Amino acid sequence: MAVVLEPYIYEGGIHKHGLILELLEDLGGYLIQKIPAATEVTLIMLIPEMDVDLIEDIAKKLLGKLTKAPLTGTEIAVVSPTLAYHHLPHSACDVAEYLRRGGANTNMIGLARGMGRRVALSADYERRLINEHDVAIFVFGTFSDCIINKKPKLFEGIEVPVVVTGGPDLKTEDVPHADLYIGNIGRVAHRLRKEAELCALDTMSKKVGELIDQRRGEISKDPLAVLPARVMKEISDQIPEIEYVMTPAPITLQLDGLRVKLPYGEYHERIENLEFDEGPLLSEIAKVMPSKMKNYILIKIQHKSEVGFVI
Amino acid sequence: MEPLETFVVESKIKSEAEQYKKIVSDAISDLVLSRAIGRIKVVIRPEDTLFQMAMVLRGSQPPVKTVDFAHVRIGTYGKSGVQIDIINEHYLPQLLDKLWAKYGPGNVSQPERKTVIVICENPHDEIVAIEQMVVDDPQRTLNSRLVDMAIRITPEGFRVRHHLLEGNHFIFLATEDIMKQEWIEETHRMLEELCGGKISGSSA
Repeated sequence: MAVVLEPYIYEGGIHKHGLILELLEDLGGYLIQKIPAATEVTLIMLIPEMDVDLIEDIAKKLLGKLTKAPLTGTEIAVVSPTLAYHHLPHSACDVAEYLRRGGANTNMIGLARGMGRRVALSADYERRLINEHDVAIFVFGTFSDCIINKKPKLFEGIEVPVVVTGGPDLKTEDVPHADLYIGNIGRVAHRLRKEAELCALDTMSKKVGELIDQRRGEISKDPLAVLPARVMKEISDQIPEIEYVMTPAPITLQLDGLRVKLPYGEYHERIENLEFDEGPLLSEIAKVMPSKMKNYILIKIQHKSEVGFVI
Repeated sequence: MEPLETFVVESKIKSEAEQYKKIVSDAISDLVLSRAIGRIKVVIRPEDTLFQMAMVLRGSQPPVKTVDFAHVRIGTYGKSGVQIDIINEHYLPQLLDKLWAKYGPGNVSQPERKTVIVICENPHDEIVAIEQMVVDDPQRTLNSRLVDMAIRITPEGFRVRHHLLEGNHFIFLATEDIMKQEWIEETHRMLEELCGGKISGSSA
């Protein structure tokens, strides 16, 4: 029977945090990301459901905090109409920050010509880049007329779930082609720190979590041939060069795949020939393709119905 | 006129206008303009893709001349020149820039922190010229900050713009489409209202 893995974040001192990592490995869990910051460390992990208590005990002994992180293992695109100071850094960066606290990896995407009403448009390259993510969050402004009537044309060609944030308090069904609308996060020119603003961000994080859970539920009906976290571990073991990649998340997990931040031309064959103990090569159970982001490698794992087995 | 004695932001939906007022307010405080603006009115009509702003400024500061922050007299360093004794160092960099441009760097020296010597042919004639030299124009700096604020608070896609900056009055319009004359006239009327009916009303 497959082990159910639960996503958690550990925040605590760097002292003796290796004990947690050793226990996690013994239990068969996965370390998704480790973020050391001076004397503190943040560990994003997938822990076997039955053994969460064991990790909790050791976290308590180390005076750290273990919290559930429902967005772990997802890569979310935070899309801003442009990169000008009208749209960034406030609100869009705060949205991304709150999603990261939930365990997600976020990428900020500023469209080249997404501003305005009649003139707003997105390019094919931008749409393809957004489609590589699990969810796309469009950070819009203050006016309901723009959000309802003009901006939805930016969602054309987006195949992943679309979440929209904006100032007015609208219903999701008011915004055409959006899967979720979250209000009270409009255009602001200051850091979001007031009570109402933080509540709106909490609501957003919670609702995006629910959307992700729903997506996970859909995937579980026809499960993936291998867990993305397992592929991540195999890449770390079989391609040691990944250790020298300096980006914050050299291997970024997605709901149905991974982004490996190594050059495609040089490494795609080694990735395709990744071996699993059970026998198959990665290329037999997943599609390895060039990513639209830089020259990275994108892996999309196939479903059981396509390959006929699950490892 | 008190700082920001009138501060109105209007839109079709009241809650959206209130939210936009915060954006305007943030831009004003970021650019330290709150004491410079007396009355401001912003109207946004997203359905017409129109942004209008009218503003009355609180009196303008006069240009700063050398005589305002220094004593200018005949030089005592042996050569034919003018000696400038600085009282307020705040404007010294601008003064040196102006002197270099006029007399050349070789003829301007600063033997002490608060003393500047200018070598010239007729020091008696130059004393008055240097005393009356405009070193800094606060109004000009203010105007550039006002334009910056207008661009910051305008919705980004509204690239067709019209502005008028005359004395203490400033109007700014922006749209995505062709600018209509009636919109410009409307904004002028907004400014008149702000001035209490008279466009040339005193705002000092």
